[in-house]
Amino acid sequence: MRSIDHLFENSSRALARHTSRRSLLATLGRILTGAALIPLLPVDRSSRAAAAEPGGTLPEAASVKGTKAAADDPLSCEYWKYCAVDGFLCSCCGGSSNACPPGTAPSPITWIGTCHNPTDDRDYIVSYNDCCGKASCGNCECNRNEREKPMYRPSRNNDMNWCMANADSNYHCSVSVILGVAEK
Amino acid sequence: MNIFLMRAALLSLAASAPLLAAPPLPAEHLTVTTLPPNNPHRIYVLDDAFTNEIDARVHLFDGDTYRRLGQIDAGFNPGFNLSPDGKTTVVGTTYYSRGSRGTRTDVVEFTDNTTLSITHEIVLPPKRAMTLPTYFNVAYSADSHFLYVSYVTPAASFGVLDPAKNTVLEEIDTAGCVLVIPSGPNRVSSLCESGRLLTVTLDAEGHEASRALSDAFFDPDRDPVFVQGVPMTDGFAFVSFLGEVHEVDFSGAQPAFHQPWSLVSATEKGHWRPGGTQIGAIHRKSGKLFVPMHRGGEGSHKEGGTEIWVFDMKTRQRTARWPVKPHKLAPVLAVQVSQDEAPILFAATAHSDVAVFDARTGQLRHVEKQLGQTPWVLLNP
Repeated sequence: MRSIDHLFENSSRALARHTSRRSLLATLGRILTGAALIPLLPVDRSSRAAAAEPGGTLPEAASVKGTKAAADDPLSCEYWKYCAVDGFLCSCCGGSSNACPPGTAPSPITWIGTCHNPTDDRDYIVSYNDCCGKASCGNCECNRNEREKPMYRPSRNNDMNWCMANADSNYHCSVSVILGVAEK
Repeated sequence: MNIFLMRAALLSLAASAPLLAAPPLPAEHLTVTTLPPNNPHRIYVLDDAFTNEIDARVHLFDGDTYRRLGQIDAGFNPGFNLSPDGKTTVVGTTYYSRGSRGTRTDVVEFTDNTTLSITHEIVLPPKRAMTLPTYFNVAYSADSHFLYVSYVTPAASFGVLDPAKNTVLEEIDTAGCVLVIPSGPNRVSSLCESGRLLTVTLDAEGHEASRALSDAFFDPDRDPVFVQGVPMTDGFAFVSFLGEVHEVDFSGAQPAFHQPWSLVSATEKGHWRPGGTQIGAIHRKSGKLFVPMHRGGEGSHKEGGTEIWVFDMKTRQRTARWPVKPHKLAPVLAVQVSQDEAPILFAATAHSDVAVFDARTGQLRHVEKQLGQTPWVLLNP
């Protein structure tokens, strides 16, 4: 495993040296907009490991914390899609759970979550895009961190301002966009 | 005239007679306060002002008099730190030309901690890492010769700055590893997705001389470490989501990793966890570690502590548990301890209060209500 790790780190280092930010963004944009490429997304399969660890509460997290109604309400932080949101809910800011408010711009780069929908009992891959270009919405702050990882694993990190690469990088709110069903 | 009204009028005259006789107050001079040098009980509180995030600030607060001493403005989503001599606060931040929008300027600002005036600044490329503040967003080399700034675009790198000459000397690619953990006069380490540390050694001009990658010292899948490292005498301690303590000695040419130890017993593991925005503080002389702990499962790593647990770093044993609820405090998101002989433990809560405890006994001395909007990180000299 160590040699494989080295191989990946060396190759990613070489990639980083020879890849411009613009091409990186273009590649990420293609990945995020290309439905055919969804299986290539970094789907988190750590839920089984986390559920197996002492005190792990992953399988029931969304429904145990709140009521069934809350888990179905896009205006509630308990809404099932919001399982890894840390920010203001765009549904409380003039947008919806998958639409940015008027006058803002979605971030082309995102972090990814895997959330369980209690209604159909499926796990979904969710893209958390920030909406950018206006000051903080300040309404419906929601901080949920299921399977969230620190910033050295950026695709799973919600602490970073994902508006960072936008022309106007100010953070306004966050949306939760279903990309597809997670493979079991 | 009514007899009662007459009496009241006479009493009123008698009472006001001495006031009429007193000399008038002298004219006042308008001045601007300056601060004495740092003392160990002064704390620098970063308020990210999350609900109006372009307006973050650093509040200076005195843990003895419980008074606010002043404010340093900190722009949007800042990182900050203190210089090794404690005389300067450095803020890495972003401004937009039209307030909340417009041309982005990333900048590092240097504030004199006596006058709280900005003495100079260095404009950065628009790459500064916009993320939660830690010790490692902006950091000085031990000799103050270099200042390092973490960049994420999302490609990761860092800037090497000369704070004396006001210049950006270099940008160094870190191959996906993030943040700037300084060691000695010329080394910078970054945390990697694989659980390794990348260490870059610089030459005298701030250019890369060499780099080395450590073995993995934690498992980022099973039990990732918080990026909020806790300063020790010779390095930093990184606490994991499940409560493992990874002490990393940065005093040598390459980081040295101690055998990890646990904050929790086998029965507590996974049920009691560290959490918050600043995960621990160490009183270095006594070797006491303070960690906000809560009951919770996976995904609870940003929940504040309902208790502060105290550990002896030498014996690796817990020596106290201090529940905060009896003090009517909300869960603790951030802790810091002063480094003097009569140490104070500061604890910022989820309700934006900052509590002041005797760090030796856990006795609550004061609660400063609403010290900012979202006080997430506490630094001290």
